[in-house]
Amino acid sequence: MASGGIAGLWLDDHEVVEAARKVREAGFKKFDAITPFPVHGMEEAIGIKRSMIPYVTFVAGVTGFLAAVALQYWTSAISWPINVGGKPFFSGPAFVPVMFELTILFAALSSVGALFVLCKLPKLDPPVIDPDVTCHKFAIFISEEDSAYNAERCEQLLKSLGAKEIKKLARY
Amino acid sequence: MAASTSSTHAVNPGQFVAGKGLRTLYAVSIFLGVVLLSLAFYKDSHRAWHSYLTSYMYWTNLALGGLFFAAIQHVAKAGWSVNVRRIAESFTAFLPIAALGAIVLLFGSKSIYQWLDPKIVANDALIQAKEAYLNWEFYVVRIVVTFGVWLLFAKLIIGNSLKQDIDGDPKWTLKAVPLSIGFLLFFAISYSLFTVDVLMSLQPHWFSTIWGIYNFAGLFQSFLAMFVIFVVYSMKKGWLRGLVSEDHLHDMGKFLKGFTVFMAYIGFSQFLLIWYANLPEETIFYLARANGWWMAITFSLLILKFAVPFLLLLPRWAKRTPNHLVMVSVLILIMQYVDIHWMVYPTLDPYAPKFSWQEIGSFLLFGGLFLWSVTSFLSKNKLIPVKDPRIEESLHHHVAY
Repeated sequence: MASGGIAGLWLDDHEVVEAARKVREAGFKKFDAITPFPVHGMEEAIGIKRSMIPYVTFVAGVTGFLAAVALQYWTSAISWPINVGGKPFFSGPAFVPVMFELTILFAALSSVGALFVLCKLPKLDPPVIDPDVTCHKFAIFISEEDSAYNAERCEQLLKSLGAKEIKKLARY
Repeated sequence: MAASTSSTHAVNPGQFVAGKGLRTLYAVSIFLGVVLLSLAFYKDSHRAWHSYLTSYMYWTNLALGGLFFAAIQHVAKAGWSVNVRRIAESFTAFLPIAALGAIVLLFGSKSIYQWLDPKIVANDALIQAKEAYLNWEFYVVRIVVTFGVWLLFAKLIIGNSLKQDIDGDPKWTLKAVPLSIGFLLFFAISYSLFTVDVLMSLQPHWFSTIWGIYNFAGLFQSFLAMFVIFVVYSMKKGWLRGLVSEDHLHDMGKFLKGFTVFMAYIGFSQFLLIWYANLPEETIFYLARANGWWMAITFSLLILKFAVPFLLLLPRWAKRTPNHLVMVSVLILIMQYVDIHWMVYPTLDPYAPKFSWQEIGSFLLFGGLFLWSVTSFLSKNKLIPVKDPRIEESLHHHVAY
């Protein structure tokens, strides 16, 4: 969210989950919670949909599997056939370890890659709401791009939900 | 969500009641099992002992799986599983029957194990070379000691858990750790030897060093499947309301998927080395299972015991949908029977799998006894370890995205 907005800060994880739920119920869509550790129930409270990474992983895994079959078929049976122990050139069982490894390799690397893309990583010098959100504070940030955004209304809402501190940000 | 359940000090699960349907089911199973198995022994005792061994291993594995699961939860000091642990523990109620069954198997051993036949041994140099291990006296000692120690550990680990239900003393939880470590160390060795004794030695010329692990993989995979079925059954009866949620099922589903992969990994590891080295004394096992219809059974294990359940358990929703999870579990339980049948029966008939009323008889007998012992245990005890110190963690168990 490379836009301005308003952030509220809490000191208690139960309160921030409740606040996030209320913010969503108030009709906001472009908002986020920034917490120092994973808070149980936060995804449901904000209404975050599941990430698409599992689908990337699955497709990449299948691709890796097929790539391993193709690679071994081409090298062992077409380009340079060598008789190993009288086995057929295309020997399914012998190829399984490589199929397994490439499935894992493609799936794992693609998952990490997809994570970087989806989270827009790496973020060099990212804007900071408050240094303490990596330690003991919990923040909810509402973007000014949200159609329901209104600086005063948001400030009031966050305060009424128990925010200990309000910060206006030009860019987050 | 389960997470919203307020902090509870007195946890009150529903009482497990074996309803009329369930009681009829195991009574009829035991009755039919006794009748069919008796007839099977009358008709062809050699085949009946193979049938006995197959079903015996199948249900004994489930009982051992319950003890193994309880032990790894204690060793890992797991909190999430507290509310489902008692159902796993209940499976060990079958262990005393399994011990009796092993004694009965001793009487049939001379009918199915070639290495116990002096006439065959006298003309077989390979079996003679193995006589230091494969002999009647040592075999009996192994079976008796193995079951004795298993029963002792079951009594201590599960018994302590039941004692905690009454006094709520956390010392039982602390004591469970060294007991469980002791059991796991003993189990690793004794179960390997047990499967070598009762299954691998059916083909006394053949050997595989991964045999025990392969059997263990099937044991734990099938245990998890049966575990899922019992937990979902109790949930649907409403006995676990507010105590066990789809979050617990999700983790059990992950376990099931993980050990489905493990089973395939170990099974293929065994096959690959034998296939690659191509040594006659090792390939006999797979050659016997590549004849005629046996080849179809061999492939069915790869597809229906691994590929299909793996794909069916892959999505997140699959592990959080009770009916779907039960369906996959039933498939795995059927294939576990096929797996043990595939290990045992080629020595009886090298050309085609044999499955008829003789096999159904022993399966029903042990299945009925399993259901009877497990449901009696659950009817007598609380459905969850109500005073376990880690119960809060399980009450608030939540699986993140």
